[in-house]
Formats: sequence, C-alpha cells, structure tokens
Amino acid sequence: MTNLDQTAFATLAAVASDPVSYAQEWKARTGRPVIGSFPMNFPSELTHATGALPVIIQESRTTITEGRSLLPEFYCGYTRSLADQAAVGELDVFDAFVLADHCVQLLGAVDVIRWAKPQIPTHFAQFISSMDDPWSRGQVIDKIGSLRAEVEEIVGTSITPEALSHSIGLFNENRRLLRELYDLRRSGRVRITASQLQTLVKSSMVMDIEEHTSLLRDILGALEPEEHAPDSLVRIHLSGHFCAPPRPELLDVIEECGALVVNDDLYHGFRYISTDVPQSDEYGDVDPFDALALWYLDRNISAPCGTRVQRNVDWDSYLISSLEDSGADGVITLMAKFCEPLMLYYPELKKALDGHDIPVLLIETEHEGVAEESVRTRVETFVERIRRNKTRLPSLAQ
Amino acid sequence: MSLDLSPREPLELLSTRDRTLDAVDKSNRLSSTKTGGKMVADYWENIFTAKERGKHVVWYNGTALNPIFQAAGLEWCHGEAFSARLAAMHLEGPAQAAGEEYGYIGELCSYARTHLGCAVMTQKGITEKQNGIVGMVDQEELASKLPSPDFFVNAYAGCSTGQQWDAMTYRVFGKEFPIFNVSLPMIWGNKKDAGYLRGSEWEKTPLYVEEQLKKLIEFIEYQTKTPFNWDALSENMFYIKRASELRLEAMALCAAAPTPATYWDWVASIAPINFMPANQALVDYFQGVKDEIQYRLDNRISAVQSEKYRVYFDGIMNWNKLGWLTRKFAEYDVAVVAGRYTHDSFWQEPQLIDLDRPLLGMAQHYLICPINHGLKIMEELLIKRCDEYGIDGIAFHSTRTCRAMTNPQHILARTAETERGIKSFFFEGDVADAAFYKDESLESGLVAMLESIDQQRARALV
Repeated sequence: MTNLDQTAFATLAAVASDPVSYAQEWKARTGRPVIGSFPMNFPSELTHATGALPVIIQESRTTITEGRSLLPEFYCGYTRSLADQAAVGELDVFDAFVLADHCVQLLGAVDVIRWAKPQIPTHFAQFISSMDDPWSRGQVIDKIGSLRAEVEEIVGTSITPEALSHSIGLFNENRRLLRELYDLRRSGRVRITASQLQTLVKSSMVMDIEEHTSLLRDILGALEPEEHAPDSLVRIHLSGHFCAPPRPELLDVIEECGALVVNDDLYHGFRYISTDVPQSDEYGDVDPFDALALWYLDRNISAPCGTRVQRNVDWDSYLISSLEDSGADGVITLMAKFCEPLMLYYPELKKALDGHDIPVLLIETEHEGVAEESVRTRVETFVERIRRNKTRLPSLAQ
Repeated sequence: MSLDLSPREPLELLSTRDRTLDAVDKSNRLSSTKTGGKMVADYWENIFTAKERGKHVVWYNGTALNPIFQAAGLEWCHGEAFSARLAAMHLEGPAQAAGEEYGYIGELCSYARTHLGCAVMTQKGITEKQNGIVGMVDQEELASKLPSPDFFVNAYAGCSTGQQWDAMTYRVFGKEFPIFNVSLPMIWGNKKDAGYLRGSEWEKTPLYVEEQLKKLIEFIEYQTKTPFNWDALSENMFYIKRASELRLEAMALCAAAPTPATYWDWVASIAPINFMPANQALVDYFQGVKDEIQYRLDNRISAVQSEKYRVYFDGIMNWNKLGWLTRKFAEYDVAVVAGRYTHDSFWQEPQLIDLDRPLLGMAQHYLICPINHGLKIMEELLIKRCDEYGIDGIAFHSTRTCRAMTNPQHILARTAETERGIKSFFFEGDVADAAFYKDESLESGLVAMLESIDQQRARALV
C-alpha cells in the first residue's frame, strides 16, 4: 500500500471523522458563519463566495436515539441520522441550512430539522430533477437566483460575480487534484485504499477548501508511483451509495478479501468530484451564476445518477463504459437500506452487467453497520469467483 | 412419568385476508358507492381492449391528468390506481412476483413495485407476441392485462420516487415509447407569508406548472397527430368541478355525530374522483352519494352502529385491508370520519377551477396533493380537519413503503396533542403489500388510544 503523507492525511482523517468539531473550531477562529447543505447537488461555491464555510452535513456515527421518535425506522440511515443529530443538538454549530435536492426522505428529515431548530434558517430551492426538458436550464438558473438571495441574506453580504468566480476556481482546482489521485489509483501505479480515498473526498466536503487543497498538494507531492501496476489482485468498481459514505470498515473488509478497488461512482467518491463548474466556453467567460446551473446539468452526464431522470443518459451504460476504462473485473453495489432511487435503478444496472458477463455483488448497508463476517464471506466468494473466471482454461469441447 | 406432550389445538394462523372478525359487524357502509365499484370495473375492462379498438394508450403516474387525456381522445392507465385495484382484489401477487424476479427489492414503494411488475409482464407479452409465442403470460391474470403504452406521462407531486419510477418503466420497455415529465415543485412553505393556498410561493409555482401543461398538450398533439380539443377539456373540468362540489358537500354532512358515512366510504369513492371519465355519470355518482348521506342524516342512520369515538386517519390507504379495517374500527365503536388521503386530495378545492382557464386550476390542484406540502402547512390542515369533524383521536397508518405519506407523521402526532390534546396511535401496514400489515399492532394501539380518550373524558367530567 502506498504511504500517503502521514501528517497531511492525519489532519484530513480527523476532519472527516468529526466535521462538527472542525466547523466549531473554524467558526471560533474566523468569526464567520457556517452553512450546512445537504447532498447531493447544492453548489458549495455559492456559500463559499459569501465568506461562510460551506459544509455538506454528514451522517453521524452516533447511535440513533432521539431521532427514532421523529422519523420512521424505514428511512435510510442518513436521513434518520439527520433527524437524530437535530434532536440531540449536533447541528447547533450551523447558522443556516440550504438544500437543492428533492428526495422524499431527505425532505422529511429537513422538516424535522426545521421543527427542532426553528431559530436556524432553512432554505430549499428545488432544482428540477428532469434534466433534459426545454425548461430545465432556465428553472435551475432561477433557483440559483433564489439561493443566492437567501445566502446573501443569511450572511449579510452580496455575492459579486468576481467572488463567485474565485470560489469556483478554488473548488475546480480541488476537484482536479482529487481526480488526479483517482487517475493514479485507476492506473494501479499508486495503491490508495478505498477508505483512504473516501477520507480525501469526504474531508473536501466539510473543510475550508483552500486548506484542503494545500493538504492534498502535500499528499500528491509525496507520492512515489510505481513503474508498473501489479496485476495479481481482482479489480473492483464500487457503485451506488448516494448521500452518505459507506463505512470505512466495510471498504477495508472488501479490500482485505483480495479485491483492489480501482474506481467507483459513489457520492463520497468520483460522483462528487466528477464535474467542474465551467468558467468559460467558446464564446468567452461564462456568467458564474449561470455556470452553477450548467454544472448541475453537466454532472448528470459525466456521472449519471439514479435520483435524476434524463432520457438520453443512462447510469448503466455509463457504468459499463467506466469499467472498460478502469479494467475492473467486477462490481460491488453498495446500497444504503431503504434508498429508493438505488432500489429502483439497481435492476437496470444488473441487467446491463449481466448482459456483459460482468459479475456483480449487492451489499445492503445500514446506519448501525453490517455483520462483518457475513460480508467477508460473501466478498471472498465473489472475489474467488472472478479469479476462477479469469484463469479458466478454454473448454476442450469448444 | 410420561414425557408425552399433551395434544394441542392447532394455532389459528390464517391471515387477515382469509379470516373474518368474530365480532358482529357494526359498520354500515353506504350502498351508493357500489355504483362506483361497477363504474371502475367497467372502466378497466374497457382499458384492456383499448388496443383492439385502435386507441392510443397513455401510462401515467401521480396527479390526475385524466381530463387532459380524455379531451385528447386517449385511453389512460393510472399506475397507482391499477396497483391499488390489484391489492384491493388480493390479486397483486403475480405482479409483485414479476417485479421481484426482475430485481426490485421488497422495501421499494409497493405501488411502484406492483406497477413495474405489471410493466415487466406486459413487456414480456409484447416480446412473446413478436416471437410468435402465445400464452406464456397468462392473459387471465389481471396483472398482465394492461395494454402496452404508446407513451408515458409523469407528473408526480411530493414524492421523488414517483418520477424515478416512470423513468424505470420507460426503461423496462426498452425506451421504445416516449415519455413526458411534468415537474411539480414541492410547496415548501418557508417564507413568512407561506400557508395553505396563500403566500408568494403559492402564487408563483402554479404558473410554472401551467406552462408545462401547455407543453404536455403540444406533446400529446404530436403523438396523436390530432389537434387538442380545448372545449372538451373545459367541459371535462365542468363535470369534475361539479362532482367535487357534491363530494365536499357530502363530506361536510359527516361533521354530524353520529356520522352518516365514514372515511372508508370516501376511500371507496377515490377511484371515481381520481380517474374516472369526467361526464354526467360522475356527477350523478356523487349526487347519489350525497343523497344517501342526507337521507341517513334525516333518518338518524349512522355509519357505525354505536359511535363512541371519532377518529381521523392519517396515511395512505392499506388497500389489502379496506373491508377488514372498516369492521375492525367499528367493532370498537370508532367512526373514522375523515383522513388526509381522502379529504385533502382529489380536486378538493373546486373553487380554483376556472373553466375559461382550466390548466391553472389543474396545476393548483396538482400542487396541493397532500404529500406536497412542508410540515407547517400539513399541521395547519390537520388541525383544521380535526376541528371540522370533532376528532377525538388519530390513527396514523405507518405505511412501510410510502415514505412520502409517513414523512411528517411523528411530528403531526405531537402537534395534535399539543394544540388540541388529541390522542393518537401508530400501526404498521402498507399500501399494496399485505406482508407489512400487523393486526396486533393496530389492535393494541387502538385500544390504548381509546382508553386514553376515556380517561380524558372522565377527567373533563370532574
């Protein structure tokens, strides 16, 4: 395994594991507000341009207690955790909440937050989820305008085009560096575990972006890629898991079973960093506010998502093409229990993978965790099955 | 000493589907709703022959777009309605099995799962026909009888799953038939001026939806190669408006105690108001319902033999258990008089319908779907209904696979208790999957709530 720069990685790991403490410390240090947003499409650049700290609110590792009496048990772990965090005061550091996504479970959780924390402003500007209608772009531009007005009011400042362009540049650079790490991992010349990569992406969602970029540069600068990639391990693509990250322990178990995770389309992974906000096009500079709308629409093309609908874009064909790029031998789909968009799309993914003879394993995850030994047995069997297929001699009958 | 176990009586393990309550049936359902049952049965039988009659068929989900489809001369298949029908007839099994075999997990919305199963079966039928194989899909199974669509229209308010579901149906059919999406934003109610049918958000959002409906009509014109009949749309909305007025007038009569009709009668009337053709027969149906209720009121005939408690039902209907629940609540002298699903849905604000500008009133109705409001508006509506109907308690149907309807329930329960001292209980069930219904959970919760109400009443007397 490649040793990531230990000092830089340790800082990022600490923030990723406890974003609330980081936000409290940042707030005390800067005296500026912290604004929480919810996955998966709110443009953090907009909040950043006000001088506030944008934080994508994470699932807490805490056992759900108070939240049990606020949302039903058949909601996904992330939304139940949000309700719980609101009830037990873990969200008190935030000066406002903003969101652009319409997931029925997420809105239920945010309604609980509005109810539990009436003093904290909560703004919802619903981005259209039908991406290729003639009015889609105009609708998103309109909603960016409403969000702009809301965050300006919260922070008490105006967002100038220059400030937003600057923020966009910072976030684009951060995503570019993370994608560089993805490229190195995909090539196999650098071994970065799935849980390490999750830490790098997750910390970028909650940290001051310039501070994060500086630490990423330290990590990249210290890497020593191998000449050639080892080919002894089974190469795996991780798919699914929106909104909240799968537990790092689960990712470690998968890799301990002889799998090498070479790519993913997880939200706490490539989905989050897939797309930059355009800063210019063939006609020159793009208005930065309109650019955020374009980013939202482009994102579903560069990494299609089951929460959006688009006639000419398919997650399944994207997945197949992504596997060809990474040379992955199989797919492990990680599904947060009760996640309806993934439950709906999964049969189409499986159909496409089966059609290409690509092995797939579905693992359901829960807030409370999964039985490690059961997962280990399933993954070992899956890996062994792929390994046998790879080494199978041609039948004499053929 | 003998170690032989004494013979035991076999356990009574029949499901609630197969057994009836031992207690005397104290419910007294309206007889006029039987006409609706026949209307609905005839409607579906007609749909099944649509292709033979050379009609264009649209599959749709969510809001009641049927007046537009009717004006365009289409035959319309409402996904949830068909899933509900299968569940109510206990015929959902084959569709759910087909969905499961295709890969849909049991925790997915059972409306969607059932309907997608129907899609899988219909698609299989098309493939078999193309391959010259006949009869592999049993055409006698109701679930496989839906005619294949010529196109899809989705207009789903409140629930994000609704839009994604049709996107998947579109893919089950190999993207062979076009799809049109009407996007219905949630009325989040965050502004200071926000409330039910008021505030800037309410003023602005329907206009956006109205424009999309105009585009939908252009899409239909393109698909059918026929100019849209705007006069027919206004005429359809005339009938719907009148039917809705009669329905609301009849509902208002049930503020009387004892109530002449119950929530279960209004559940039986959902299909007519939600997707039956708009015509004089529809108006006559609701006139008949209202007349029967008025007759009962005049003659002191109650819907529950000895009404002692008045309960509000929150949650989507458990279609597998309509008859069972009707009797169950009545057994405890409970009149379920109103509910969110029946009273805050389905053309419930007919004054919004302007026959000269029908699309705006339709857009407004699509947005006031009872799962499309933020919590504050839902609290406002709940309290209003509790006051109107003199509610003593609330039954929250914790609908396992319907996250949209269960979203605010825990907080609504607290609001009802805080604002009005109204007790409530939760029971588990589902819209179309009988596996999630737990009779004991309902019974113990109901009994506990009624005891609390008794204590409340006793304290009030002191």
